Amino acid sequence: MTWRPVGLTRDVPAGRVMRAWVDGQDAVVWRSTRGVLSAWDNRCPHRGMALSHGFVRGEDLACLYHGWHYGAEGGVCSLIPSHPDLTPPDTIKTRAFQSAESDGVIWVRLEGSPDLAPIDLAPPAIAPGLDPLRSFEIRASEGDIAHGAAAKPFEPAILSLLFNPIAHDRTLVTVLIDAQATSDQRKLASRWCEDVRREVEA
Amino acid sequence: MSLAYARNDWYVIADRNSLEQGPRRTRLLGDEIHVSGSYAHPVIKDASGRMLPTQIKFDHVWTTVGDRPRPLFDIPEGNEPGRRLVPCGMVRVKCSPLRAVENFLDIAHFPFVHTDVLGAEPYTEVEPYKVEIREQNDEVWATKVKFFQPLAAKSAAGGITTDYEYRVPAPTTAVLYKTCPPKPEAQDVITIFVQPRSETECDVWPWMALYDDDTPYADLVQFQQMIFLQDRSILENQRPIKLPLDPRMEIPTRSDLTSVAYRRWLKKRGAFYGALAETL
Repeated sequence: MTWRPVGLTRDVPAGRVMRAWVDGQDAVVWRSTRGVLSAWDNRCPHRGMALSHGFVRGEDLACLYHGWHYGAEGGVCSLIPSHPDLTPPDTIKTRAFQSAESDGVIWVRLEGSPDLAPIDLAPPAIAPGLDPLRSFEIRASEGDIAHGAAAKPFEPAILSLLFNPIAHDRTLVTVLIDAQATSDQRKLASRWCEDVRREVEA
Repeated sequence: MSLAYARNDWYVIADRNSLEQGPRRTRLLGDEIHVSGSYAHPVIKDASGRMLPTQIKFDHVWTTVGDRPRPLFDIPEGNEPGRRLVPCGMVRVKCSPLRAVENFLDIAHFPFVHTDVLGAEPYTEVEPYKVEIREQNDEVWATKVKFFQPLAAKSAAGGITTDYEYRVPAPTTAVLYKTCPPKPEAQDVITIFVQPRSETECDVWPWMALYDDDTPYADLVQFQQMIFLQDRSILENQRPIKLPLDPRMEIPTRSDLTSVAYRRWLKKRGAFYGALAETL
């Protein structure tokens, strides 16, 4: 399985929970209060509720339905509020995926355990000198978006596009811009993103 | 899926309000149903024009598409003098009809989903309660259920520990008996009749039989609708959409005793419409 870019580091600050799609897998990406990033199957093992609707409590992600807590380290259930004195068996755990960050982009991949050696954890390196600009969804295929972007070259600064296919007609696009770009150039690039989206979705 | 079992149950497909708005189409067990006539004389037809049997009970219009329908259960409290009968309209939910019933049987979610209304942290603990299958009528019953609630009902002034009993007379109906704040010796009755539009979509018709003559009707309905809209935000985000009957697929804890019994009871009866009978 490949690393997929699922969003920007700055879009997932401490305490934030986000839904992501990785090779057809519904996933939850979240950051603990102390800053640990995790990516799990977006499903509470108790009653199947989407954990992306949950909330961060310290180093745990809590499910919105019954408040069951899962720890950032390993996704093991640490609290069942209906039985606060019970120590949950460590067989109750979420399915964890590998997650990593580089150059302001969050990457997730399905295969392998999160405990693999760091060398295996390295996500694709982004060309040096690029800053993340934004990450947004377009209702079109990767091919159509690439085609639409190529037909409308952006002159003011260097842009680079990363694609994460969500469905055959939905793609998460992460746009990177020359780190030297001025704020005016960044504004123009944002507008260019909107134009490309409008055209390929039409 | 077991359509054969489900076809022989009775289902709510309209109330007085919806009939007064003229003929309407709805869905039942995956098929289109035409509803017309008046509340006193409803006319229910399937897509081929076949007339379906009807009965008016608990302030709703019921029908069945089966050849050998089981008798419709009774809710005797509906006939008790002094109770106010409150049909609460309908809430459509994109979920399995069985998940909607199971959610109604669950109290452990109150502090998180109905925060500051039916429950509140740190009062999250569920005390042991009793669950049984009552043999004489083959119903699931949960009794001696207790929970602390900040605002248990429209008629409640402040936080109280509420006593609950639950009854499941049919796979898509759940009845709840709870402490009635102004009349502690009696119990309010709150019911959901779930109309299975398909295995993954349902219309929920709440109905109440209360000792409450003071609260305006609109406020009672609004309170129930608020609760169900909060539940909907959960029900439309569970995966798989169908209710898994294999206990390995969703891990229960002690407070899930009612849910565990309900799932076993469905499995034993072969009531698989809206359920995932196999393991994924």
